Amino acid sequence: MAFSLGFHIIFAAIGMTMPFFMSAAHYRYLKTKDSVYLALTKMWMKGVAILFAVGAVSGTVLSFELGLLWPGFMRDAGAIIGMPFSWEGTAFFLEAIAIGLFLYGWNRMRPWAHWATGLAVGVSGFVSGIFVVAANGWMNTPAGFDWVDGVARNVDPVAAMFNRSWLHQSVHMQLAALQAVGFAVGGIHAGLYLRGRAPDLNLKALKIAMAFGAAASLAQPLAGHFAGQRVAELQPAKLAAIEGLFETRAQAPLTLGGLPDVKTRTMHGGLEIPGLLSVLAHNDPNAVVIGLDRFPESDWPPVAIVHVAFQVMVGLGSGLALLGGLYFWYLGRGTFPRWFLRALVVCVPAGMIAIEAGWVVTEVGRQPWIIYGVLRTKEAVTPVPGMVYHFYLFLVLYGGLALATAWLLWRQIAAAGKNPETP
Amino acid sequence: MIEILICFIGVSLLLYVVLGGSDYGAGILELLPAGAHRQRQTEIINRAMGPVWEANHMWLILIVVILFMGFPPIFTTLMVALHVPMLALLVGVVVRGAVFTFRHYDAIQTPRSQRVYTWLFGLSSLWTAFWLGVIAASLNRGVIDPAAPTVWAAYFAPWWGAYPLAVGMFITCIFVFLAAVYLVGETSDPNLQARFQRHAQVFNGAVIVSGGGVFLASLGEQESLPAAFLAQPLTIVAMALATLLFVALWFSLKHRQTMLTRAIAAGQVALILIGWCLLYAPNALVTRAGPMSFYAQAAPAATLRQLVLALLVGSVFIFPSLYYLFRVFKLGGRPAPSSA
Repeated sequence: MAFSLGFHIIFAAIGMTMPFFMSAAHYRYLKTKDSVYLALTKMWMKGVAILFAVGAVSGTVLSFELGLLWPGFMRDAGAIIGMPFSWEGTAFFLEAIAIGLFLYGWNRMRPWAHWATGLAVGVSGFVSGIFVVAANGWMNTPAGFDWVDGVARNVDPVAAMFNRSWLHQSVHMQLAALQAVGFAVGGIHAGLYLRGRAPDLNLKALKIAMAFGAAASLAQPLAGHFAGQRVAELQPAKLAAIEGLFETRAQAPLTLGGLPDVKTRTMHGGLEIPGLLSVLAHNDPNAVVIGLDRFPESDWPPVAIVHVAFQVMVGLGSGLALLGGLYFWYLGRGTFPRWFLRALVVCVPAGMIAIEAGWVVTEVGRQPWIIYGVLRTKEAVTPVPGMVYHFYLFLVLYGGLALATAWLLWRQIAAAGKNPETP
Repeated sequence: MIEILICFIGVSLLLYVVLGGSDYGAGILELLPAGAHRQRQTEIINRAMGPVWEANHMWLILIVVILFMGFPPIFTTLMVALHVPMLALLVGVVVRGAVFTFRHYDAIQTPRSQRVYTWLFGLSSLWTAFWLGVIAASLNRGVIDPAAPTVWAAYFAPWWGAYPLAVGMFITCIFVFLAAVYLVGETSDPNLQARFQRHAQVFNGAVIVSGGGVFLASLGEQESLPAAFLAQPLTIVAMALATLLFVALWFSLKHRQTMLTRAIAAGQVALILIGWCLLYAPNALVTRAGPMSFYAQAAPAATLRQLVLALLVGSVFIFPSLYYLFRVFKLGGRPAPSSA
């Protein structure tokens, strides 16, 4: 399951943001009638088509897998947290209709109506993403039911959907998707541009993708800070694991880097900035930040993994924000230096890695719970024997799918670089 | 509330079989020898399925979502007892969807890679359709056992046997039949039209033969189909109507009444499905411990209200846009070559 999700999160991120890039290029084409934009739209459209199909099938697997792997979880959770999934299903349906219209609607629909179907793909995909993240938020801050003698009572699906984590998690995730995909796409086109392939097209592509990516990367630190404050309040054990804070204390320091050691309950290495964690979590350098000592060790998440994953996420996010700022600076000056374009090429995978790391932080940071404070992961897992085979099956399936998709996209990029006017 | 949800499940199931089913059938058709027509046939199927197959696939997801939110005990029982066929189904869904898209969008198309894609697409369509039938047959056999003592009884016995096998083959034949009927109207090439028409006739026969096989195989079940039919006269009416319609279908097919033929074939399949559902309604599953009805296994009222709301609001958007999709691609006369 974790593996399927780890795979799906990347494809979902691309699937819900690429259509916006495509629509932006299409918009420019309809406005300017510049055929380069048309070529770009069709090029991105193929990527969208491939990724939507892969995202749709991997999403189907996930909807089944919830029940296949976590029947104990779903027996309790389905009625409570089904609501975002029902809306997500609706949005997904509309997305599938819209993509059919967009992909095959060239010359069969009025141009602006056709453009609108492309935009509808993006909007419905983006909204689906918010619903799914809301469901994940519920696992972090369960709401909308009372847990009485091992049975859920007073079920309120609306309260469950709009749980206390849905807003900060979805803002953070949607920005992350825009940021990661914007930089990945921008970086690929920067690479093609540097090689001198179809410079006009690739520069235009770079500008569209980076407009999204750079803007999101500048907004993300704010969203991340907002998310951090909510986690400090709602899931103090997760925050303590993120920061490797073993002791509850005032003027808590922020540790950059370093490796927490659970046995000795100390942090090895890393750069401590006194009081900064208290400021970040509670806006006050003297505020008390709860440490892991307030929780029994059986309720600790794997501290080292969570801490390191968080450092990776924030480090990459900060780097991208810096590049995002530089992007607007150079855009204003009207020219991009080669070293900057090379840096963008290097950063192609950065946003994706940051998404995976962030996902590790939120999921591993919640352990040993699957529904925080209510249900432990080991109580929820399927009774079906031979889960190892299940795991291998999906490893092979998803591994194969990921490789095939990557290979196919690579062929698209290679072909587009060679033959830019007739993609 | 529960009635509305049952209606949604019924409509979704119907549209999934009538629309999505033909997408499986088209894949299976591509496994048959096509000689010189191979490439044309693939182009037609790409163009016919391309705009709609993802929307058609959504009906299945909708059913899963309704069961999952509205009837969690049914959903969990199903997923545990039919774990193995569900996995098989999912593998098929993934391979099929991916390969279909890859075949169309691969930037470098060589005859060899196209052959591999086509072969994989056909095989995975056949595989997935078969397992859909197995799952459908396993719902009401009374073999699902939530308190099973052995691994075999819990995870294999529910879907093992001649009856699920027969239903799997029956469903496969139905899907190919639907696809062949629909495809006649997707091309203006008389050779291919004749080909699809012949396929439609052959698989029409196959549907009848494999349907007989389902009856025979059901004799070994706890409750045989003949016995179940006698208890539900409406099913007998539905099945009789479906059989009678074959006469109209052959006539219409011969006279190339594209839309009429499609409607008759879809109507036949709908009647078979409705007849089958009537046998068991309002039970979703029959287990060793007794039937699990939608009424007894529903989620709390607050959840059902929200689910119905989501579905009704969704319908306001989904049905008009779906109509638009089909109007643009399926009702607009002879399809123009796609530039996608």
